[in-house]
Amino acid sequence: MSETTFMGVPREKINWAPVIDYDKCNYCMECVKFCPHQVYEVRENDEKRLIIKNPNNCVVFCRACGKTCGPDALSFPNKSETTKYIKEIRKEMESSD
Amino acid sequence: MTKSYAILSCNGLDKLAGSLTREIALQIAEQTGSEIICPTFYRVADARYNKLAAEKPLLVIDGCGTRCAGKLAAEKELKIAAKINIAEESKKHNIEIGSGLRLGENELQLCKLLVDNFFKEELSKEASLEKTDQVSMPAEIDYEIYKKDKFVFRLPKEAAFYFTENDCWVYVVGNKARIGVTDFVQQSLSDIMFFTPPDIGSEIEQFGEAGNIESGKAVFEIICPVSGVITAVNEDLLDYPEYINENPYEKGWIAELQLTDFEGDKELLMQFDEYIEIMKRKVDEFHV
Repeated sequence: MSETTFMGVPREKINWAPVIDYDKCNYCMECVKFCPHQVYEVRENDEKRLIIKNPNNCVVFCRACGKTCGPDALSFPNKSETTKYIKEIRKEMESSD
Repeated sequence: MTKSYAILSCNGLDKLAGSLTREIALQIAEQTGSEIICPTFYRVADARYNKLAAEKPLLVIDGCGTRCAGKLAAEKELKIAAKINIAEESKKHNIEIGSGLRLGENELQLCKLLVDNFFKEELSKEASLEKTDQVSMPAEIDYEIYKKDKFVFRLPKEAAFYFTENDCWVYVVGNKARIGVTDFVQQSLSDIMFFTPPDIGSEIEQFGEAGNIESGKAVFEIICPVSGVITAVNEDLLDYPEYINENPYEKGWIAELQLTDFEGDKELLMQFDEYIEIMKRKVDEFHV
Protein backbone atom coordinates (compact mmCIF):
# COMPACT_ATOMS: atom_id res chain seq x y z
CA MET A 1 0.00 0.00 0.00
CA SER A 2 1.21 3.51 -0.63
CA GLU A 3 0.78 6.60 1.48
CA THR A 4 -2.17 8.83 0.68
CA THR A 5 -0.69 11.92 2.32
CA PHE A 6 2.79 13.38 2.71
CA MET A 7 3.31 15.69 5.68
CA GLY A 8 -0.46 15.98 5.90
CA VAL A 9 -0.86 17.06 2.26
CA PRO A 10 -2.91 14.84 -0.07
CA ARG A 11 -0.32 12.98 -2.15
CA GLU A 12 -2.01 13.73 -5.47
CA LYS A 13 -1.44 17.46 -4.91
CA ILE A 14 2.34 17.00 -4.86
CA ASN A 15 4.12 16.67 -8.18
CA TRP A 16 6.90 14.20 -7.35
CA ALA A 17 7.73 11.23 -9.57
CA PRO A 18 10.51 10.22 -11.97
CA VAL A 19 10.44 11.37 -15.58
CA ILE A 20 11.86 8.91 -18.14
CA ASP A 21 14.09 10.27 -20.90
CA TYR A 22 13.20 7.81 -23.65
CA ASP A 23 16.20 8.89 -25.74
CA LYS A 24 18.47 7.57 -23.00
CA CYS A 25 16.49 4.63 -21.51
CA ASN A 26 17.88 1.22 -22.57
CA TYR A 27 15.04 -0.74 -20.90
CA CYS A 28 17.35 -2.58 -18.53
CA MET A 29 14.46 -2.38 -16.00
CA GLU A 30 16.77 -1.95 -13.00
CA CYS A 31 14.45 0.83 -11.75
CA VAL A 32 11.41 -1.45 -11.96
CA LYS A 33 13.23 -4.20 -10.08
CA PHE A 34 14.27 -1.71 -7.43
CA CYS A 35 11.07 0.26 -6.74
CA PRO A 36 8.86 -1.49 -4.18
CA HIS A 37 5.97 0.94 -4.74
CA GLN A 38 4.82 -0.09 -8.25
CA VAL A 39 5.54 3.35 -9.65
CA TYR A 40 6.58 1.81 -12.97
CA GLU A 41 4.82 -0.54 -15.37
CA VAL A 42 6.46 -2.65 -18.07
CA ARG A 43 4.56 -2.85 -21.37
CA GLU A 44 6.43 -5.36 -23.49
CA ASN A 45 4.34 -4.80 -26.61
CA ASP A 46 4.37 -1.02 -26.66
CA GLU A 47 6.97 1.21 -28.26
CA LYS A 48 7.57 2.77 -24.82
CA ARG A 49 8.19 -0.45 -22.94
CA LEU A 50 8.34 1.30 -19.59
CA ILE A 51 5.95 3.92 -18.23
CA ILE A 52 5.26 5.78 -14.99
CA LYS A 53 2.01 4.05 -14.10
CA ASN A 54 1.45 5.28 -10.55
CA PRO A 55 3.26 8.62 -10.02
CA ASN A 56 1.50 9.19 -6.69
CA ASN A 57 2.95 5.98 -5.27
CA CYS A 58 6.42 7.55 -5.54
CA VAL A 59 7.82 8.54 -2.13
CA VAL A 60 8.19 12.31 -2.08
CA PHE A 61 11.90 13.31 -2.16
CA CYS A 62 13.04 9.73 -2.90
CA ARG A 63 15.33 9.48 -5.95
CA ALA A 64 16.70 6.03 -5.25
CA CYS A 65 15.56 4.43 -8.53
CA GLY A 66 17.48 7.19 -10.36
CA LYS A 67 20.67 5.94 -8.72
CA THR A 68 20.17 2.47 -10.18
CA CYS A 69 19.91 3.87 -13.71
CA GLY A 70 23.00 3.11 -15.82
CA PRO A 71 22.20 5.48 -18.72
CA ASP A 72 21.00 8.24 -16.34
CA ALA A 73 17.59 8.41 -17.98
CA LEU A 74 15.56 9.36 -14.88
CA SER A 75 15.05 12.88 -13.59
CA PHE A 76 13.02 14.33 -10.71
CA PRO A 77 11.37 17.65 -9.86
CA ASN A 78 13.30 20.35 -8.02
CA LYS A 79 13.37 19.59 -4.28
CA SER A 80 13.33 23.13 -2.93
CA GLU A 81 10.39 24.11 -5.13
CA THR A 82 8.55 21.00 -3.96
CA THR A 83 9.25 21.86 -0.29
CA LYS A 84 7.99 25.42 -0.85
CA TYR A 85 4.87 24.10 -2.52
CA ILE A 86 4.13 21.63 0.32
CA LYS A 87 4.43 24.45 2.86
CA GLU A 88 2.06 26.63 0.81
CA ILE A 89 -0.55 23.90 0.55
CA ARG A 90 -0.33 23.26 4.30
CA LYS A 91 -0.96 26.94 4.95
CA GLU A 92 -3.96 26.92 2.63
CA MET A 93 -5.30 23.81 4.36
CA GLU A 94 -4.84 25.40 7.80
CA SER A 95 -6.61 28.61 6.81
CA SER A 96 -9.55 26.73 5.31
CA ASP A 97 -10.01 24.60 8.47
CA MET B 1 53.52 6.82 -0.92
CA THR B 2 49.86 6.04 -1.27
CA LYS B 3 48.76 2.64 -0.04
CA SER B 4 48.33 -0.22 -2.40
CA TYR B 5 44.84 -1.52 -3.17
CA ALA B 6 43.03 -4.45 -4.71
CA ILE B 7 41.17 -2.68 -7.52
CA LEU B 8 37.82 -3.98 -8.72
CA SER B 9 36.56 -2.01 -11.72
CA CYS B 10 33.41 -2.88 -13.66
CA ASN B 11 35.22 -2.94 -17.04
CA GLY B 12 31.84 -2.61 -18.82
CA LEU B 13 32.75 -3.29 -22.45
CA ASP B 14 29.62 -1.90 -24.09
CA LYS B 15 29.85 1.54 -22.48
CA LEU B 16 32.61 4.10 -22.65
CA ALA B 17 32.32 4.70 -18.90
CA GLY B 18 33.20 1.01 -18.45
CA SER B 19 36.39 1.36 -20.50
CA LEU B 20 37.21 4.44 -18.48
CA THR B 21 37.05 2.42 -15.24
CA ARG B 22 39.72 0.13 -16.64
CA GLU B 23 41.96 3.02 -17.67
CA ILE B 24 41.67 4.59 -14.21
CA ALA B 25 42.36 1.22 -12.56
CA LEU B 26 45.50 0.84 -14.70
CA GLN B 27 46.82 4.29 -13.88
CA ILE B 28 46.22 3.93 -10.14
CA ALA B 29 47.72 0.43 -10.16
CA GLU B 30 50.83 1.62 -12.02
CA GLN B 31 51.42 4.42 -9.55
CA THR B 32 50.72 2.51 -6.33
CA GLY B 33 51.65 -1.09 -6.99
CA SER B 34 47.99 -2.02 -6.57
CA GLU B 35 46.65 -5.19 -8.15
CA ILE B 36 43.66 -5.43 -10.47
CA ILE B 37 40.82 -7.91 -10.08
CA CYS B 38 39.07 -8.97 -13.31
CA PRO B 39 35.34 -8.93 -12.46
CA THR B 40 34.45 -11.58 -15.02
CA PHE B 41 37.09 -14.01 -13.84
CA TYR B 42 36.32 -13.22 -10.19
CA ARG B 43 32.72 -14.25 -10.73
CA VAL B 44 33.58 -17.64 -12.22
CA ALA B 45 36.72 -18.50 -10.24
CA ASP B 46 37.03 -16.46 -7.08
CA ALA B 47 39.83 -18.59 -5.63
CA ARG B 48 42.16 -16.62 -7.90
CA TYR B 49 41.47 -13.39 -5.99
CA ASN B 50 40.30 -14.36 -2.49
CA LYS B 51 43.73 -13.90 -0.91
CA LEU B 52 44.30 -10.55 -2.60
CA ALA B 53 40.82 -9.32 -1.64
CA ALA B 54 41.36 -10.35 1.97
CA GLU B 55 44.79 -8.77 2.30
CA LYS B 56 44.48 -5.42 0.57
CA PRO B 57 41.98 -2.59 0.98
CA LEU B 58 39.46 -2.63 -1.86
CA LEU B 59 39.00 0.20 -4.35
CA VAL B 60 35.79 -0.19 -6.37
CA ILE B 61 35.40 1.68 -9.68
CA ASP B 62 31.96 1.66 -11.28
CA GLY B 63 31.09 3.17 -14.64
CA CYS B 64 27.41 3.84 -14.05
CA GLY B 65 24.52 3.58 -11.63
CA THR B 66 24.08 -0.13 -12.23
CA ARG B 67 27.15 -0.51 -9.96
CA CYS B 68 28.21 -3.94 -11.25
CA ALA B 69 31.55 -3.80 -9.40
CA GLY B 70 29.98 -2.57 -6.15
CA LYS B 71 27.35 -5.29 -6.30
CA LEU B 72 29.99 -7.93 -6.99
CA ALA B 73 31.90 -6.72 -3.91
CA ALA B 74 28.67 -7.04 -1.88
CA GLU B 75 28.07 -10.52 -3.25
CA LYS B 76 31.58 -11.56 -2.18
CA GLU B 77 31.10 -9.83 1.21
CA LEU B 78 34.08 -7.55 0.70
CA LYS B 79 34.61 -4.34 2.59
CA ILE B 80 34.98 -1.33 0.29
CA ALA B 81 37.74 1.06 1.34
CA ALA B 82 37.39 3.59 -1.50
CA LYS B 83 35.06 4.08 -4.41
CA ILE B 84 34.82 5.98 -7.69
CA ASN B 85 31.66 6.23 -9.80
CA ILE B 86 32.35 7.59 -13.29
CA ALA B 87 28.77 8.68 -14.09
CA GLU B 88 28.54 10.67 -10.86
CA GLU B 89 31.97 12.23 -11.36
CA SER B 90 31.21 13.11 -14.97
CA LYS B 91 28.12 15.02 -13.80
CA LYS B 92 29.94 16.63 -10.90
CA HIS B 93 32.76 17.95 -13.10
CA ASN B 94 30.50 18.63 -16.06
CA ILE B 95 32.64 16.56 -18.45
CA GLU B 96 30.42 14.63 -20.80
CA ILE B 97 31.27 11.05 -21.73
CA GLY B 98 30.80 10.27 -25.44
CA SER B 99 28.48 7.67 -26.91
CA GLY B 100 31.16 5.68 -28.80
CA LEU B 101 33.33 2.98 -27.29
CA ARG B 102 36.83 4.39 -27.61
CA LEU B 103 38.36 6.82 -25.15
CA GLY B 104 38.56 10.32 -26.60
CA GLU B 105 39.82 13.68 -25.41
CA ASN B 106 36.99 14.28 -22.90
CA GLU B 107 37.31 10.84 -21.37
CA LEU B 108 41.07 11.10 -20.99
CA GLN B 109 40.66 14.52 -19.40
CA LEU B 110 38.14 13.07 -16.91
CA CYS B 111 40.48 10.13 -16.31
CA LYS B 112 43.38 12.41 -15.44
CA LEU B 113 41.19 14.53 -13.17
CA LEU B 114 39.82 11.52 -11.29
CA VAL B 115 43.23 9.91 -10.84
CA ASP B 116 44.66 13.24 -9.56
CA ASN B 117 41.69 13.69 -7.21
CA PHE B 118 42.07 10.15 -5.94
CA PHE B 119 45.66 10.82 -4.88
CA LYS B 120 44.74 14.19 -3.35
CA GLU B 121 42.04 12.55 -1.25
CA GLU B 122 44.43 9.83 -0.19
CA LEU B 123 46.86 12.46 1.06
CA SER B 124 44.18 14.33 2.97
CA LYS B 125 43.02 11.06 4.54
CA GLU B 126 46.54 10.46 5.74
CA ALA B 127 46.78 13.90 7.32
CA SER B 128 45.48 13.68 10.85
CA LEU B 129 41.94 14.93 10.94
CA GLU B 130 40.77 17.01 13.82
CA LYS B 131 37.49 15.93 15.28
CA THR B 132 35.16 18.88 15.08
CA ASP B 133 31.86 17.33 16.09
CA GLN B 134 30.27 19.48 18.73
CA VAL B 135 26.76 18.32 19.39
CA SER B 136 26.74 16.50 22.68
CA MET B 137 24.30 13.67 22.81
CA PRO B 138 22.75 12.17 25.95
CA ALA B 139 24.91 9.41 27.45
CA GLU B 140 21.99 7.03 27.33
CA ILE B 141 19.13 7.28 24.91
CA ASP B 142 15.71 5.98 25.84
CA TYR B 143 14.20 3.98 22.97
CA GLU B 144 10.77 2.73 22.08
CA ILE B 145 11.14 -0.69 20.50
CA TYR B 146 8.90 -2.11 17.81
CA LYS B 147 9.49 -5.56 16.34
CA LYS B 148 8.52 -7.48 13.28
CA ASP B 149 9.76 -11.06 12.95
CA LYS B 150 13.50 -10.95 13.67
CA PHE B 151 13.74 -7.24 12.91
CA VAL B 152 13.99 -4.69 15.70
CA PHE B 153 13.14 -1.05 15.10
CA ARG B 154 14.22 1.45 17.75
CA LEU B 155 13.07 5.04 18.03
CA PRO B 156 14.52 7.58 20.47
CA LYS B 157 11.94 9.21 22.73
CA GLU B 158 13.93 12.34 23.67
CA ALA B 159 12.17 15.58 22.74
CA ALA B 160 15.28 16.98 21.01
CA PHE B 161 14.91 14.33 18.28
CA TYR B 162 12.81 15.26 15.26
CA PHE B 163 11.96 12.99 12.32
CA THR B 164 10.99 13.28 8.68
CA GLU B 165 8.55 11.21 6.71
CA ASN B 166 11.63 10.05 4.75
CA ASP B 167 12.87 8.27 7.89
CA CYS B 168 15.79 10.51 8.81
CA TRP B 169 16.33 12.14 12.21
CA VAL B 170 17.79 15.35 13.55
CA TYR B 171 18.87 16.06 17.12
CA VAL B 172 18.85 19.76 17.86
CA VAL B 173 20.90 21.63 20.46
CA GLY B 174 20.54 25.42 20.14
CA ASN B 175 21.55 26.37 16.61
CA LYS B 176 23.49 23.15 16.02
CA ALA B 177 22.21 19.76 15.03
CA ARG B 178 23.28 16.19 14.38
CA ILE B 179 21.54 14.14 11.68
CA GLY B 180 21.20 10.48 10.78
CA VAL B 181 18.90 7.81 9.46
CA THR B 182 16.41 5.72 11.45
CA ASP B 183 16.37 2.01 12.09
CA PHE B 184 13.75 1.74 9.37
CA VAL B 185 16.32 2.86 6.76
CA GLN B 186 19.14 0.63 7.95
CA GLN B 187 16.88 -2.43 8.22
CA SER B 188 15.50 -1.78 4.72
CA LEU B 189 18.99 -1.46 3.23
CA SER B 190 20.48 -4.36 5.26
CA ASP B 191 24.31 -4.46 5.44
CA ILE B 192 25.66 -1.00 4.70
CA MET B 193 28.95 -1.21 2.83
CA PHE B 194 29.84 2.34 1.99
CA PHE B 195 29.27 5.89 3.21
CA THR B 196 29.74 8.93 0.97
CA PRO B 197 29.81 11.93 3.30
CA PRO B 198 28.49 15.39 2.46
CA ASP B 199 31.20 18.05 1.97
CA ILE B 200 32.13 19.99 5.10
CA GLY B 201 31.21 23.65 4.58
CA SER B 202 28.53 22.87 2.03
CA GLU B 203 25.15 24.51 2.47
CA ILE B 204 22.20 22.15 2.28
CA GLU B 205 18.52 22.99 2.00
CA GLN B 206 15.89 21.08 3.97
CA PHE B 207 15.34 17.74 2.16
CA GLY B 208 18.53 18.28 0.14
CA GLU B 209 21.14 15.53 -0.23
CA ALA B 210 23.47 15.02 2.75
CA GLY B 211 25.61 12.22 1.32
CA ASN B 212 24.72 8.63 0.50
CA ILE B 213 24.83 5.23 2.11
CA GLU B 214 25.08 2.12 0.05
CA SER B 215 24.29 -1.55 0.55
CA GLY B 216 24.25 -4.46 -1.89
CA LYS B 217 20.57 -3.63 -2.38
CA ALA B 218 20.57 0.10 -3.06
CA VAL B 219 22.09 3.53 -2.75
CA PHE B 220 20.13 5.61 -0.23
CA GLU B 221 20.34 9.37 -0.53
CA ILE B 222 20.42 10.85 2.96
CA ILE B 223 17.61 13.38 2.87
CA CYS B 224 18.66 16.20 5.18
CA PRO B 225 15.89 16.96 7.70
CA VAL B 226 17.05 20.56 8.24
CA SER B 227 18.67 23.40 6.33
CA GLY B 228 22.15 24.47 7.32
CA VAL B 229 25.89 24.28 6.74
CA ILE B 230 27.73 21.00 7.29
CA THR B 231 30.23 21.44 10.10
CA ALA B 232 31.30 17.83 10.72
CA VAL B 233 30.84 14.34 9.36
CA ASN B 234 31.14 11.04 11.17
CA GLU B 235 34.55 9.99 9.89
CA ASP B 236 34.35 6.65 11.68
CA LEU B 237 31.77 5.63 9.07
CA LEU B 238 34.40 5.88 6.32
CA ASP B 239 36.09 2.81 7.83
CA TYR B 240 33.10 1.29 9.61
CA PRO B 241 29.88 1.99 7.70
CA GLU B 242 28.40 -0.96 9.57
CA TYR B 243 28.06 1.32 12.62
CA ILE B 244 24.88 2.57 10.91
CA ASN B 245 23.45 -0.94 11.13
CA GLU B 246 24.59 -1.31 14.72
CA ASN B 247 23.04 1.92 15.94
CA PRO B 248 22.10 4.73 13.52
CA TYR B 249 21.24 7.12 16.40
CA GLU B 250 24.51 6.85 18.30
CA LYS B 251 27.77 5.69 16.71
CA GLY B 252 26.13 5.58 13.26
CA TRP B 253 25.29 9.30 13.13
CA ILE B 254 25.91 10.97 9.75
CA ALA B 255 26.81 14.65 10.05
CA GLU B 256 26.47 17.86 12.01
CA LEU B 257 25.16 21.20 10.82
CA GLN B 258 24.97 24.82 11.81
CA LEU B 259 21.25 25.47 11.43
CA THR B 260 20.04 28.30 9.23
CA ASP B 261 16.23 28.20 9.54
CA PHE B 262 15.14 25.67 12.12
CA GLU B 263 11.89 27.51 12.89
CA GLY B 264 10.91 27.21 9.22
CA ASP B 265 12.17 23.61 8.94
CA LYS B 266 10.23 22.52 12.02
CA GLU B 267 7.00 22.94 10.11
CA LEU B 268 7.83 19.80 8.13
CA LEU B 269 9.34 17.76 10.98
CA MET B 270 7.67 15.40 13.42
CA GLN B 271 8.38 14.51 17.01
CA PHE B 272 8.32 11.05 18.51
CA ASP B 273 4.54 10.76 19.08
CA GLU B 274 3.67 11.52 15.48
CA TYR B 275 6.52 9.70 13.73
CA ILE B 276 6.21 6.47 15.76
CA GLU B 277 2.78 5.90 14.22
CA ILE B 278 4.19 6.36 10.71
CA MET B 279 7.13 4.09 11.50
CA LYS B 280 4.86 1.36 12.87
CA ARG B 281 2.70 1.49 9.75
CA LYS B 282 5.78 1.25 7.52
CA VAL B 283 7.18 -1.61 9.59
CA ASP B 284 3.88 -3.50 9.33
CA GLU B 285 4.15 -3.27 5.55
CA PHE B 286 7.89 -3.98 5.64
CA HIS B 287 9.27 -6.88 3.68
CA VAL B 288 12.95 -7.62 3.17
